[in-house]
Formats: sequence, C-alpha cells, structure tokens
Amino acid sequence: MESRTSVPGEAAQLQALTQFLQDFCATAKLPPATTLPFEIALEEIFMNVVMHGSPAGRLAQVEVSLALSDDDLTLAVEDDGPAFDPLALPAPDVSAPLEARRIGGLGVYFVRQMMDAVSYARTGPRNQLRMSKRVTRSDAAPAGTNPG
Amino acid sequence: MFDIHQGPAGEVIMSGRLDATQCDAALKFLDALARPEVIDLAGLEYVASAGLRVFLLAQKRVKAMGGGLKLVNVRGPVHDIFRYAGFDQVLDITRAAE
Repeated sequence: MESRTSVPGEAAQLQALTQFLQDFCATAKLPPATTLPFEIALEEIFMNVVMHGSPAGRLAQVEVSLALSDDDLTLAVEDDGPAFDPLALPAPDVSAPLEARRIGGLGVYFVRQMMDAVSYARTGPRNQLRMSKRVTRSDAAPAGTNPG
Repeated sequence: MFDIHQGPAGEVIMSGRLDATQCDAALKFLDALARPEVIDLAGLEYVASAGLRVFLLAQKRVKAMGGGLKLVNVRGPVHDIFRYAGFDQVLDITRAAE
C-alpha cells in the first residue's frame, strides 16, 4: 500500500499533510498510538523545510509519500530546496537547566528517538529524508494464531 | 483543532492539537496573562517540538517572576513527548490518571 502527495513548503499546508497521513493510516487500519510518532515526524521534518527550504522568495515544493509493507511504515519527505541534512544537526542537551534550554535540534532528536530507521540523501536537486518504523495493524491476527 | 482558554479557577485549559501553526496563538494567550500558573492539559492530544517551545518560553517568563508553571492532567502520549525532551526536569508535570 502506497500513497503520495505534493504541497508547497508553507506552514499552512501542515494540516493537509497531517490529514493525508491520518487518512492513510485509517485505511491501513493502524491504531492511533502507531500513527502518532509519524504525525510528529512529519511535522518536524516538514516544518524544517518550511523554515530552511525556501530562500530568496522561492517556495520549495514538498513531496510526502507513505509506504506500508508487512511490518513497516515508511514516511519519505522530499523537497527541492537547498541541500540540507537535518540529521547532521547536533543533538540537543535534554538535561540542561531551564535557562540554557533551546528548541533547535529537538525535532530531529524526536524523529531519531521514535523511528527505527532514519536516512538522508541528496539526489540531484532534491533532499530526501526517509523514516521507517515497525507497525502493527489492528486487524492483524494475534501472535501464535494460524490464520486459515 | 486547538483551543486555549481560562477556566473558572484561573487555570489555563488547552485542548486539541498544538501543532506548529497554533503556537503563535497559544503564546499570545499566555503572554497576555500576568502570571499563568496551572495549565490543564487533559484535552491536549498532540504536541511536537514547536509546541514545547510555547511551554518553555512561558516557563522562562514565569520563573523569572519567581513562579513556576504546573502542567496537570497530561495524557500519556503527550507526557512521553515532554519526557523525551527532558522537560520533566525543568517543568512541574503531572500525568493524568489512567
């Protein structure tokens, strides 16, 4: 099962992208607890593109795709903005005192924490970030049963 | 959908999804309060790093006045996000009863 959509890299598109993800997960019968990490990853990576991907008044185009295999859901976010590898950002200090706390880097840190695999590639004029995680369908047969 | 308003006891009540597009409204609401203290998150379903910034900025402001935010009734999945970020060390956070 696969689906893709394309939107301009502006914050106002976040809601439409989230809906796209939720619709896909509902059709695939994934439970909400499974969907949540992908919603967060989508917001973090898309908002990175919104903030960094459209210099000098040219709006980046962002393509989001979802692919569900037997065990994994993969979310890929591609954009045609300047080369930018969010995985190269330094990890935030999540034990710093209040005064020293910053939000920068926290989004990518979440993505790394919540996904099983994350990778970045620059292919031609496009950035591609792929994130995947093992998922369990709510209609899947319980472990140990023998369907049919 | 996201909503922020003040309850009868002066507590701030947030509900729905605090995503990146709602943060300005949430910050503006909190900034307009002299000294917010209790924030009831029983209805908050979703937060990511942009939303955490709202709580961080509010906590820095209130702390500078000698106070501190209390986040109460925080749902499990949202509580996990606060904890991933280590915000449980810089904010008073109480999880909702299951």
